Amino acid sequence: MSDAIIDIRHIAKVYEMGNEEVHALRDVSLTVGANEYIALMGPSGSGKSTLMNMLGCLDTPSSGTYLFNGQSVGDMSDDDLAEIRNQEIGFVFQTFNLLPRASALQNVELPLVYSGAPRSERSRRAEDALTRVGLADRIDHRPNELSGGQRQRVAIARALVTQPSIILADEPTGNLDSKTGQDIMALFDELWRSGNTVILVTHEEEIARHAQRIIRLRDGLVESDQPNEFHATPL
Amino acid sequence: MNVYESIVIAVDSVRAHKLRSSLTLLSIGIGVFAIIASSGITGTLQQTVSSQLADLGENSMLIQRTPSINFGHSWRKYRTRKDITPDIARGLRERMTTTSLISVSNTNNGFTIQSGQESSNPDVALIGIDDMYFEVNAISLQEGRAFTEQEATIGNNVAIIGTDLLPLFPDGKPLGKTITIRNQQFTVVGVLERKGGIIGQSQDNRVLIPLAVFIKYYTFRWDTSVDIAIKAYTKESVAATFDEAVGIMRTLRDLKPWEENDFEIDLNEALAGQFNNLSMAIVVVAWISGLGALVAAGIGIMNMMLVSVKERTREIGVRKALGARRRWITRQFLIESVTLCQLGGATGVAGGLLTSWGVTLIVRTTSVPGLDFVFPWFAVVFSVIACTMIGVGFGLYPAWRAASLDPIEALRYE
Repeated sequence: MSDAIIDIRHIAKVYEMGNEEVHALRDVSLTVGANEYIALMGPSGSGKSTLMNMLGCLDTPSSGTYLFNGQSVGDMSDDDLAEIRNQEIGFVFQTFNLLPRASALQNVELPLVYSGAPRSERSRRAEDALTRVGLADRIDHRPNELSGGQRQRVAIARALVTQPSIILADEPTGNLDSKTGQDIMALFDELWRSGNTVILVTHEEEIARHAQRIIRLRDGLVESDQPNEFHATPL
Repeated sequence: MNVYESIVIAVDSVRAHKLRSSLTLLSIGIGVFAIIASSGITGTLQQTVSSQLADLGENSMLIQRTPSINFGHSWRKYRTRKDITPDIARGLRERMTTTSLISVSNTNNGFTIQSGQESSNPDVALIGIDDMYFEVNAISLQEGRAFTEQEATIGNNVAIIGTDLLPLFPDGKPLGKTITIRNQQFTVVGVLERKGGIIGQSQDNRVLIPLAVFIKYYTFRWDTSVDIAIKAYTKESVAATFDEAVGIMRTLRDLKPWEENDFEIDLNEALAGQFNNLSMAIVVVAWISGLGALVAAGIGIMNMMLVSVKERTREIGVRKALGARRRWITRQFLIESVTLCQLGGATGVAGGLLTSWGVTLIVRTTSVPGLDFVFPWFAVVFSVIACTMIGVGFGLYPAWRAASLDPIEALRYE
């Protein structure tokens, strides 16, 4: 257990909505080890998004403990959380969330700007990351000059560039056609095979099938957490 | 990269919202414009006037019935004063021991000078002078001669003209010609050296005649008072001469020890000081209104930045998700608001400099040949600093709003 990247014990999250208390998460425990490939599933209202925000250190639990690489996230300040997100977590969003006025390279450099990396190192690493996702020839393009699939590749390069402990992808193919979606999933498979830890949040079985382990949530509780029986490493 | 990026974003957002931002930038521009233009113009004039007043005669002073530059005081106080008659002037001249450089003169405005078929403008100043006038007032001639003592005291019909009146003589030779001033004929014996003007008032649009003639024909019954110019021999003796003049004047006018002076006596330096006060007043008013405009503009900047934060909520969410700390976000928006202020300020600085330079040019060609544009360094530096402070001051709240956004809600914002 000590080598777990994520170690969550009995966490709950309660939101106040007016006078009502909403229990988004009731009692969730799970661990994520290095180089796991996990799909987080569940219908809307299951607490899936809340858990993802928690895993991504965008939010802190109301109760329970969350250890990230052995550090307790629950009592961290905003800036400490920002640092964890910057160093340890690579986000990939459904809507890509690239800065529209910045080039692909500048978008990928952004996390390195916030980590304070020197300029020359920034552009070198950002170029490497873009090369890894197959966009070496598109580094000076702006998002509106790129296709949906290419934009998501830029976003994945941005998630990779800091060499984070986990890559957290929220419905990464949700805004893409199925062919492009398959290409993107192939990229995630490849990242996993080269040693990255990947957590996919999805409601599509097809996508979840790429993962090694599937966690299903319902009503703020883990409904099931088991290895993916269909998982087969594609050639 | 982050500073540069923020500046690019600020310029971009000006371009994206042309009307909204140009109005805000305009109000900053107006504020800065008022500060720069007023400082530039008054600075330039002040330098010129000070040097010209110094030209009028160092170590010299002027006794008049009423002050030459008068603001803030009631006119009533002066109206009842007795005239300074030529007799008093003569008395002063006889009794003064510290200096003999004493000149009596009187001026009236609004004369038309004629020569043959030609006629001058209707606002020529006619000055009656004595034989000491040129020496005491440090005035020289470019042509001809001054009045002889005899001409000055007995009162011959002779005249010395300013250069503005040269067009009256198409052949360019005024000496020996006859001019007519209200039915009196005078022979031109000299031409004054060109002097330029103080604040647009030409010093060359004048005619000098002997004081005796002036008093005889051109003095209004209600204003027979003369002006007495006194020059001390040295800088060190100015105070003694000044005190002596005051003492003698008081005796001549029968003032009791407890009574106030019923005449004005001013050192030329003091006249320069009075002008400085006047221009300071102009600058202060312009600066206050300029600063007011800047504060109003600051509120506009704040509004603009709040809209910008709202519009870019999602971007802020992304930046936070990628690990931007609060101070990064704060800094980004502060740089943006300072950039906006500086853009507006730059237009104001440019406009203000251009205007004051233009005014200098116009004044130079029309009335003051030697006028040099004085670059208002202080105002420019002040404006840059003020714009920065306003950018920071009014950008602080929007920047704080941006930095305090919850990343989850910001990411969800449509």
